[in-house]
Amino acid sequence: MIPTPPPPGQCTPDDHRLHRRLFLRGLAATGATTLGSFGGLFTHPALAQAARRSQKNCLLLWLCGAPSQFETWDPKPGRPSSGPFGSIPTTVPGVHFSSLMPRCARIAHHLNVVRCMHTTQSEHLQAINLLTRGNPDRAGFTRPTLGAAVSAALERLETKIPNYILLDPNPEGNEFKEYKASDLTGWLGPEHAPVRLGGSYTQLGRAADGLSDDREARDALRKFFAKKYETERASRAATAQNAAFEKVKGLSASADLFDVAKLPEKDRQRYGPGTFGMHTLMARNLIEQGAPFVMVANGMPWDNHVFQHEIHQMLVPELDRVLHCVVTDLQERGLLESTLVIAMGEFGRTPWLNASRGRDHYPNAWSLMMTGTGLQRGVVVGGTDADGVDPDGRSFNEQNLFATIFTALGIDPHGAYDLPGFPEFHRVEDRAAPITELLA
Amino acid sequence: MKLELTKTLTLPTAPLGLAMRADASRLYAACMDGGIYELDPAGGEPVRFGDSHGSYASGCVLLPGGRTLISAGYDGQFLWHDVGKKSTFRRVQAHGFWSWQLALSPDGRLAASVSGQYLAGGEKYEPAPALQPTVKVFDTATGALVRAFDHPPPVLSTAFSPDGRLLATASMMGEVCVWDLATGQCAAAFTTPDFTSWGLIKSPHFCGGIYGLTFAPDGASLLCCGMGPMADPMAGNGKQTWQRWAWRENPPRLDSHIRDGDRGTGLMETLAHTPDRTAFLMAGRQAQGS
Repeated sequence: MIPTPPPPGQCTPDDHRLHRRLFLRGLAATGATTLGSFGGLFTHPALAQAARRSQKNCLLLWLCGAPSQFETWDPKPGRPSSGPFGSIPTTVPGVHFSSLMPRCARIAHHLNVVRCMHTTQSEHLQAINLLTRGNPDRAGFTRPTLGAAVSAALERLETKIPNYILLDPNPEGNEFKEYKASDLTGWLGPEHAPVRLGGSYTQLGRAADGLSDDREARDALRKFFAKKYETERASRAATAQNAAFEKVKGLSASADLFDVAKLPEKDRQRYGPGTFGMHTLMARNLIEQGAPFVMVANGMPWDNHVFQHEIHQMLVPELDRVLHCVVTDLQERGLLESTLVIAMGEFGRTPWLNASRGRDHYPNAWSLMMTGTGLQRGVVVGGTDADGVDPDGRSFNEQNLFATIFTALGIDPHGAYDLPGFPEFHRVEDRAAPITELLA
Repeated sequence: MKLELTKTLTLPTAPLGLAMRADASRLYAACMDGGIYELDPAGGEPVRFGDSHGSYASGCVLLPGGRTLISAGYDGQFLWHDVGKKSTFRRVQAHGFWSWQLALSPDGRLAASVSGQYLAGGEKYEPAPALQPTVKVFDTATGALVRAFDHPPPVLSTAFSPDGRLLATASMMGEVCVWDLATGQCAAAFTTPDFTSWGLIKSPHFCGGIYGLTFAPDGASLLCCGMGPMADPMAGNGKQTWQRWAWRENPPRLDSHIRDGDRGTGLMETLAHTPDRTAFLMAGRQAQGS
């Protein structure tokens, strides 16, 4: 039966579904029996305190395509595996970064680097899934991505900013495009799907500017997002208009945060002219306004099989600049204590150059950076052998990484999902341990 | 024309530049381990020079007489080597970034090097302007800087005209300049879009460019080589490409180019005319190294 549309200017009951559910959940959590109004939810002392306690955020700088560890965090000067770029000392005694990263070298005591990641997938799509879902596949079940899992665990009552935002200017991306079109929320459901935005945001800006209570504008915006979701093949969000509409409402309340024209010019210059910097700056603002999880990507530019050194000479300095800016800004604003910042790709690059002088996929031994809430600072975990072929001793995989991330965010890494009728799934399976020396 | 492989010589690491004695009795290779090596084409082990570059050695040229070799590297330096002693007697910091390519004037009096780092300069990752000249010309006898030119970076290739009065330079963005070495002025400039890609599929930035450049023996045209537009720049799957430009015409005119049936995929990096000047050779790396 087709439901009767509500009169103009009124929302459907489903428009309030998410908030009502959260409202009820909030009541249960605090033991409160009555609240005068929905707005009163956020002024109730017990709930407000609980909300503040949970105000942790996560910023994932997704370096899709996989950067070279040798040209970033694990240089091998003088070795055959070294590329043409040198290494420089950092503020952490004895630790060197690539010479392409002078800014990060100056704040190395605020960063942590894991140099002994060891994973098993060497193809992009499988590796992207592995490193964003945190566990190997299990046939017949789709795990939520990190953003969805964090969204579900940290969903905010006090902000309308969407819980999971993916900023990516590139609608393509080869395997990454396929990933983006896949089911990113798994069993958590479409309300935890990312709001995915990118580029100039012109279309969003126009839509958000026109948002009002009149039905026509709402419908236009609804159609815009419905279309956006429909283009993402196999996404359950395509059938979740209500969830999409909740996101629209959140976006409309925070439209300025997505408006390039409203980014301060001074900040734009600091973060650099590229879209990666621009989106990371937006991510900083979103985090500052309470967004629990923001993922910044920029297509799949790091997959340099042929023009390795020709492209890394540009990408790494941009990463260096952007990381320095965002970590420094979050620190100066007191937000690094509550924000986890991760910069990583889906694997590393080979210690040897191929015949085209490029580096190929290499999951055997690679590096990532993470810092912020729940973590130590200035720690370099593990290492690799002289040429970076193997981890030098211990290594960590995607499960150890996710256990670290969840622990740092105050989320039980081994907690089971509430999935009636499903086998038991945990945020991190096999009770994999976090990387303990990273934890504060 | 048929090419026949007559000898395979092995070096410790890959060479990015080669020079040869006029009588072909010795080869000199600038290699990715920073070293310069002397080889006897007839066989034997390569002999490494005493000093090396701090990064890849990207090119080397042998001065007339064969007693001095100049090498350039990704450390931005020029090294003057005594060939007999295999030792360095002069070191000049030519650039703050790589020397992408090195060229010697026909009379051996000048050596030119091109540089410039690709850094993001715009929302579409247009190259940012360089902070210092990207083209430098040195006196090979004294090491003195003779000329410096500002060509938007990164400048990948360079070549002297047959009469030594002109220097051509070309960039990742397909911009070609012909510099008058006497006046320091740009004698001609043109841009060809056919060597540069912007990554629609995976990589929202530019790549490619003109990796090899040479004047025709009569100086009237310029040959450029590289890789044609790529659907997926990261895979390096563009077509092997050359173009011949009548640079003296106003405006410069594309005279001819490689035919589709004559090419496979790959990045072409070097050009050379045959001694009889009736043909030229083009070489480089193939896609994915295959």
